[in-house]
Amino acid sequence: MKEQKGLAFNRLAALTDEPLLKLDTKKLMPLPYLDAEPPVKPPPESWLEKYDLSLDWHSPVGVPKPKTEQEKAELVRRFLSGLGKLFDPQNNWTFLKILRLTTDYCMRCQTCSEACHVFVASGHQEIYRPTYRSEILRRLYRQYFTPSGKLLKSLVGADIELNYKLVIRLMEVSYRCNVCRRCAQVCPVGIDNGLIAREIRKLFSQEMGIAPKELYAKGTRQHLKVGSSTGMSVGGFKEAIEFIEEDIGDRTGRKIKIPVDKKGADILLIHNAGEYLSWPENPGAFAVLFDAAGIDYTLSSEPVGYDGVNYGLFCDDVELARIGLRHVQIAKKLGVRKIVVGECGHATKTLCVITDRVFPGDLSISEIPRESCLPLFWEIVKSGVIKLDPSRNNFPTTLHDSCNIARLMGIVMPQRNVVKAICPQFREMTPNGARNYCCGGGSGFAIMNELNFPQWRKKVSERMKTKQILEAFRDCLDPSQPKYVIAACSNCKGAMRDLIGHYGLWDKYRITYGGLVELIVNAMADLPKPFIELEFISNE
Amino acid sequence: MEVVVSYLAWVAVAVFVLVGLYRMLRYASLPVFLRWELYPVPTEPRHHYGGSYMEEVDFVKKARHHTRIGGLIDMASEVFLLKKLKDYNQFGLWPFSFLMHWGIYLLFLWFLLLAVEARLKLGVFTGLVNFLGPVAFISGAFGSLGLILKRVGNDKLGSYTTPEDYFNLIFLGAVFGSGLIAWSYADLTFDCTRALIKQALFFEASPLPVPFWVWLHLLLFELFLIYLPFSKLFHYAIKYLTFDKILWDDAFKVKDSPLDRKIAKQLSYIVSWAGPHIVPGKTWLEEAQLTDGGGEK
Repeated sequence: MKEQKGLAFNRLAALTDEPLLKLDTKKLMPLPYLDAEPPVKPPPESWLEKYDLSLDWHSPVGVPKPKTEQEKAELVRRFLSGLGKLFDPQNNWTFLKILRLTTDYCMRCQTCSEACHVFVASGHQEIYRPTYRSEILRRLYRQYFTPSGKLLKSLVGADIELNYKLVIRLMEVSYRCNVCRRCAQVCPVGIDNGLIAREIRKLFSQEMGIAPKELYAKGTRQHLKVGSSTGMSVGGFKEAIEFIEEDIGDRTGRKIKIPVDKKGADILLIHNAGEYLSWPENPGAFAVLFDAAGIDYTLSSEPVGYDGVNYGLFCDDVELARIGLRHVQIAKKLGVRKIVVGECGHATKTLCVITDRVFPGDLSISEIPRESCLPLFWEIVKSGVIKLDPSRNNFPTTLHDSCNIARLMGIVMPQRNVVKAICPQFREMTPNGARNYCCGGGSGFAIMNELNFPQWRKKVSERMKTKQILEAFRDCLDPSQPKYVIAACSNCKGAMRDLIGHYGLWDKYRITYGGLVELIVNAMADLPKPFIELEFISNE
Repeated sequence: MEVVVSYLAWVAVAVFVLVGLYRMLRYASLPVFLRWELYPVPTEPRHHYGGSYMEEVDFVKKARHHTRIGGLIDMASEVFLLKKLKDYNQFGLWPFSFLMHWGIYLLFLWFLLLAVEARLKLGVFTGLVNFLGPVAFISGAFGSLGLILKRVGNDKLGSYTTPEDYFNLIFLGAVFGSGLIAWSYADLTFDCTRALIKQALFFEASPLPVPFWVWLHLLLFELFLIYLPFSKLFHYAIKYLTFDKILWDDAFKVKDSPLDRKIAKQLSYIVSWAGPHIVPGKTWLEEAQLTDGGGEK
């Protein structure tokens, strides 16, 4: 096999089960204020026999090893078929222009590399460089689909060896990027290597039906068939609402009836259904706040309508359009004036930004507006309609910005205005706002728990956020003082729970996490006792 | 050879302009894509902290204000200062890239002034032209050479660099280098260059003998003009699309707007992806409307 000098793209095609990279904690970016961390565990032999883990001994998908030459050839054939469709205007009108420009005009200056938290946190491992996977796709496209590539071959970089190993490893490496698009933010030419990761995933999902089961089989498929990506049925949703109403009573002494399927309400509020199961105090806090502020809203009990997530965003445009369309159709049927999305970053961006251009005109944002809940929070706090007592939140807090909300929607100040009004000991992370780092759970990583992928997530993609959190609280690490990381996003909260548990931040430093609305309600002066308890419940 | 250089000048300018326009139109005519903006968006009044109109409750009902000047300032800082490369590149490419880019800008300005000077028979530019030429050559040659050496000398950069990338830099270096040699060796006052430019503009025989290095430099510049729109170096124009038309495109869709009509047309495109959840032969809108999500094949 032909090898290139230095980094060899053709290593991706190596016909060996030996991984291209074995993670080693000693080579990862050092973390401050932590003396030791759990070592990286290799996968069990039984997995290595069954699955192709030859990228880095981790996988969120677990592709079974092809057994016959025919199966191997079929993988390559289907990949090439999908690659062609990726560059076809009918099949990929949704992102073709951005993809073409990114493919044709990357200057290979590597300016984007240091902006990538995965690459930096991994100790600058080459296979995680944001241009690595893009360069392979770029060269393959040129090689198989352009006259210059066919004619000039290696002179224009069209020299990638394509075999089933490369296909599997390329799919895997597309799931080593959070698609936070921090790389695109610093590109001098405006090229978007983050998009390429998503386009590779899309090729695999839309053409080959290969995607992490949490995004596909148990994600979009389950969402459309059962009603929620959590598997929660309509009955389950109604039970969850009853539980939350009881919980509100216990926490506040108030008897609040959460409105469901109220026709003609001003707002359809859509939560990430993961909140109902993992953090029911979050939708509960919404109910308390909206009740106190006199907001006219409703939840929906229709399948899909009670779960705001849309995992199509991470890997599949067809599923993206299907789920988004159902959300907006449900709002139209209820006759609400607008949709407000709860504390979920990707759901907010999907409904408010991305899916606007996959709907017919009468479902446009101009007809059925979609908004984040964060500006509404600030309107409520600013209005003074609720008496708030900041001393109830008198503990150190820091704010994690969801990439989807800050960098990709430009919603930066409302949440800060709220926090500054109700949290006396607030301090920023560095960097923050639109320049923030991803929590490490972005693009679905937070919910992807197949095989040993959680280990990779904790060690690599959540590492930079761990560092930021520790540095934000460096002046108050004393464990006698509880500290709170605000994450107004369900997936981000999942990542916080993950990293706090893995690195022992609660045990060592009493660092915990939670949403923003809980803090607002916690500051409500007329509640008899605090709404939140500063504690940490691990998911392990 | 002077005659070839003279005629080729017209061909080069025509190719540079027409192919450049054609390529831009080709890219611009690709389908409208899903919103994919990235903040800070400099045309937003709140761009200083990365904010957007979506920070407002009921933003759909409110008037939106775009500041074109913000976009122009941002673009100018990229074009003239290469700001992102300066702020974020870890390989020390900025000083060389800056010199090379300014070499190109000054080289184009130099040729433009030479043409204007010849066409309008103006002598006022003489001093400026005699100054700009050497500055462009030295700056561009030093920058190109520096970038080549950086890529050759750094394994991380080098392994991503294709022969085509090196060719682009060597080609640029040759244009600047030949200019530098022509100036220092054969045409210190640019009289011969002026004569050749006049010959090209007016199809008149040059009153002066044109030295080898002078016509070689012009020939290389003309070939470079022809090559430019076909190559990755065309990114100078592409930035308008990547920034202004993609990363800064934060417009939401309004019913019955031109954008809405374009999207409606694209929703009628046929989907032929082969995934198990996709029903072949249906339009994008029909796929989206499948209430059971298309089932599984």
